[in-house]
Amino acid sequence: MAAGLCPGRALLSRRGGALWALLGPARGLAAGPETHFGFQNVSEAERREKIYQVFENVAEKYDVMNDSMSLGIHRVWKDILVHKMNPSPGTLLVDVAGGTGDIAFRFLNYVRSVRERQLQQKLRHQQNLSWQEISKSYQEEKSNPLGDSQVVVCDINREMLKAGKQKAQHLGYSEGLSWVLGNAEELPFDDDKFDVYTIAFGIRNVTRIDLALQEAYRVLKPGGRFLCLEFSHVSNPLLSRLYDLYSFQVIPVLGEVIAGDWKSYQYLVESIRRFPPQEELKAMVEDAGFLRVDYQNLNSGIVAIHSGFKL
Amino acid sequence: MVRGAEPRAAPEPQRGGGAQHDTAPPRTGGGAAAQGGAMLRGCGRGAAAVLRRAAGSRGASGQEQGPGPGRPPEPSLLRFLVCPLSKRPLRYEESTNELINEELGIAYPIIDGIPNMIPEAARSTQKRPPAGGSEQP
Repeated sequence: MAAGLCPGRALLSRRGGALWALLGPARGLAAGPETHFGFQNVSEAERREKIYQVFENVAEKYDVMNDSMSLGIHRVWKDILVHKMNPSPGTLLVDVAGGTGDIAFRFLNYVRSVRERQLQQKLRHQQNLSWQEISKSYQEEKSNPLGDSQVVVCDINREMLKAGKQKAQHLGYSEGLSWVLGNAEELPFDDDKFDVYTIAFGIRNVTRIDLALQEAYRVLKPGGRFLCLEFSHVSNPLLSRLYDLYSFQVIPVLGEVIAGDWKSYQYLVESIRRFPPQEELKAMVEDAGFLRVDYQNLNSGIVAIHSGFKL
Repeated sequence: MVRGAEPRAAPEPQRGGGAQHDTAPPRTGGGAAAQGGAMLRGCGRGAAAVLRRAAGSRGASGQEQGPGPGRPPEPSLLRFLVCPLSKRPLRYEESTNELINEELGIAYPIIDGIPNMIPEAARSTQKRPPAGGSEQP
């Protein structure tokens, strides 16, 4: 029965496909073709549900767990991502699966410092300014410190967004930042809207990666950039053995000790193994229409940044 | 949330204008419903306060209690949002704090200033279920 439905599903439009996913369970049909949850085989609807629960459970401790599992290195990875992005003031960023806001905050810091430097340089180059002009320039900096840059954080999980919003309040981020509950496979944004689309450690958890990539292409402006930061495959055999050992022996234990949740972190390490390697993901990104697609390995492939442009 | 408050509003005697109806009034009822509406709004405010406390938000934005449950979204965000199903523009409805897609007759709730743009969470705004019956929660 599922086999007979699959071709039909392929024929449906993108939106039709989403409706199909809604109708399927309602009509008591098989809830989507088979897919994986870590090393288990489950239906698509079940996977979506299980992943939602994983992140609901870990939301509170997400940042702490990231620090302990990666020994703080995840911060460096995210810094590298934003530096690679090199946003200028006025950039519109959509951070999908952005949950707790790590990329969004780094983006805001970056554009703020670029803007400050811009204004300082402007002052320095104009030597014969009157006092009014100088003070006007300082006021400009105060009134528009971000230079109209904006970031929209979109995540499918309410708990993660809540945690992110609280963190933002705590750290003092308010301007240029908004939060939306949405599905990466069906973004609630219009076409050709954003300058940059990022998805950091999120695409692994999307059920239909191809749909998410299509949506990414859709919402980007022409000339816009797609950036994906995700765990990937290590080719070096020795490092790979060590990495496996660490992943399967240490990380779930940390999960149990710190977050009281072995299973979620077991899912995490299994999902990393199931995720397509660098070249395969690159091909998928190209399939969605992106050009100049490339990837950069960090830490020998433990993590990779894939980049593509909508041209 | 707001619809759920209606049956509770009917038996409550306070807030003046006694309940002259035994059953829950329709949302767009006549004159008698206006008083029910006043009670409804009172319930809505109470519910909003509970929601805010429960969500633990420390009211950093310091906004006054709106007529609907929860805070309105930021205006800059409304620029970007469209319906995820049809990609058509949405109308922000202040009274219920929802984003409404007129064409499809569905409304997306906004909770704690975060719009919920998941189609399954959307509420149908029509009295009768639409023919397809697929957008209903």
